[in-house]
Amino acid sequence: MATRLQFENNCDIGVFSKLTNGYCMVAIGGSESFYSVFESELGGVIPVVKTSIAGTRIVGRLCAGNKNGLLLPHTTTDQELQHLRNSLPDQVVVQRIEEKLSALGNCIACNDHVALTHTDLDRETEEIIADVLGVEVFRQTIAGNILVGSFCALSNRGGLVHPHTSIEDLDELSTLLQVPLVAGTVNRGSEVIAAGMIVNDWTSFCGSDTTATELSVIESVFKLRDSQPSVIVDEMRKSLIDSYV
Amino acid sequence: MPRKPRRKQRPKSWPVTFSPFARALARMASVSKPNRRSKSIESSEKPTRSSTSNGSSKHTLEERPEGSESSDGEFDGVVQADFAFFDPKPNDFHGVKTLLQTYLDVEEWDLSGFADLILEQTTVGTVVKVEDDEDEGVFALATALNLWRYREQRCIMKLKEFLLLKASQEKGVGDQLRLLLGERAHNVGLLVSQRVVNLPPQLLPHLYDSLFNEVSWATEDEPTEDLRNSFQFKHYIILSKIYKHKNAEQQKRKRSDDREEEIVYVKPEDEIFHELSSWSFCFPLRTQQPAPHELKNYRSMGLIMTVEADKIPTFRQQLASLINEGWRQPEGV
Repeated sequence: MATRLQFENNCDIGVFSKLTNGYCMVAIGGSESFYSVFESELGGVIPVVKTSIAGTRIVGRLCAGNKNGLLLPHTTTDQELQHLRNSLPDQVVVQRIEEKLSALGNCIACNDHVALTHTDLDRETEEIIADVLGVEVFRQTIAGNILVGSFCALSNRGGLVHPHTSIEDLDELSTLLQVPLVAGTVNRGSEVIAAGMIVNDWTSFCGSDTTATELSVIESVFKLRDSQPSVIVDEMRKSLIDSYV
Repeated sequence: MPRKPRRKQRPKSWPVTFSPFARALARMASVSKPNRRSKSIESSEKPTRSSTSNGSSKHTLEERPEGSESSDGEFDGVVQADFAFFDPKPNDFHGVKTLLQTYLDVEEWDLSGFADLILEQTTVGTVVKVEDDEDEGVFALATALNLWRYREQRCIMKLKEFLLLKASQEKGVGDQLRLLLGERAHNVGLLVSQRVVNLPPQLLPHLYDSLFNEVSWATEDEPTEDLRNSFQFKHYIILSKIYKHKNAEQQKRKRSDDREEEIVYVKPEDEIFHELSSWSFCFPLRTQQPAPHELKNYRSMGLIMTVEADKIPTFRQQLASLINEGWRQPEGV
């Protein structure tokens, strides 16, 4: 089920927030109404954490993560790192990495199983991604753009990519990622998908300029129409409890 | 249809502005300006009356930024741009919305609705773009919206609330503003004019000419009487931004020693509007952007003023002479 909202008159909410199956991060400084939309949708299911990264509000574009871990750029301050470690669930590994491409959210697109990365990422970073996030890493481009993190939104159930992605590329990416993909736009024709929306397995948030057509494409490719958070979290819980036994 | 003769290219030192402040801003903005090659001119799509010019307003300007860095080896500091005036189109939504981002300071309001409103009014309204630009970037916008015609729109209601709130802190003007926004709204136009900081000022007289011409054509050309009457503006309300000197004792300074003016106008025409206005007031803005060095003693403030429609011909004259004076500045300045 997709919700429309905006951050201080700006429809690029994917810049100011990050959503995964295990947690949600929100920038400080937006009005309380921005934060409270997340609270009302996600409260009680996953923690919603207010934070800054490197003193900035563009948290969505600076970090990359999934339910297993969170990667932060080297510009993250120690207090922010500690705050995140304290606020996120224990099973989420929070790691600050030395990578010259510091806008990790623009360079890495990932779900809980697979990640697509910028072609110029360090080898070492690629290994850390595979390790901390528990994913298989592929260096790819999307519609000729190397900033894969900006031009696609990915969940475990589907993906939305840059509108000019060719059919062959769509097929290739779909095979790599093992999820259905669709090329589309968000926020009334914006190609920067990840800036305009955030998504996890049961819910999604889009900028308020997103048209009804775009919204229905999002709900259909990410299979949000019948999802309930409890189903997915219960599945996760079962696998967690197994480890105690 | 007769075409307005294209201005000859004149190499001149750049930027041509009116104050050290505007030059600094323009210099800052120039470093990141993309290098555009001029392409062959085709007539613009702006439908106009055959009796006057303005069929396609092309202004070719050559600009030579000082000390700008080159992004590619070919960049020799000269940026050529052909600006053209167009009617607002639905495609311009994102550009127009970007220009209006800080229109109501940090208020959360129906900005998209306001942008849509401006784009729907194709009879009065001008959008300045670069000819044949693939990105369709919007460089400037000018329009006049009748406050009675759109009174039911959420964005206009919120805008009126905003203006009245700011006026309530100012003695005297609150009642006059309430009248203009309420009973007299039939003849009140909201003059919206936003642009990128470094837009060449030579375009301004043409921009305002085309806007006020369209208003007067609309009073005759609109299909229904209501619409025709809705453009018979008697008053214009303008919401703008200025920089005011932080020191209140400015008034004591002698003119000749005055190196720092009390008010620095971001848009040059605001100075003329301010002089001609029936009343005006300032209010502090909550967004404080980092100011360039020359403005460290200034604070940015919002300015609301109202100008009577019969002062507009004076305005047009004064604007033309102000800009033309700027043209004749010596090369080395």
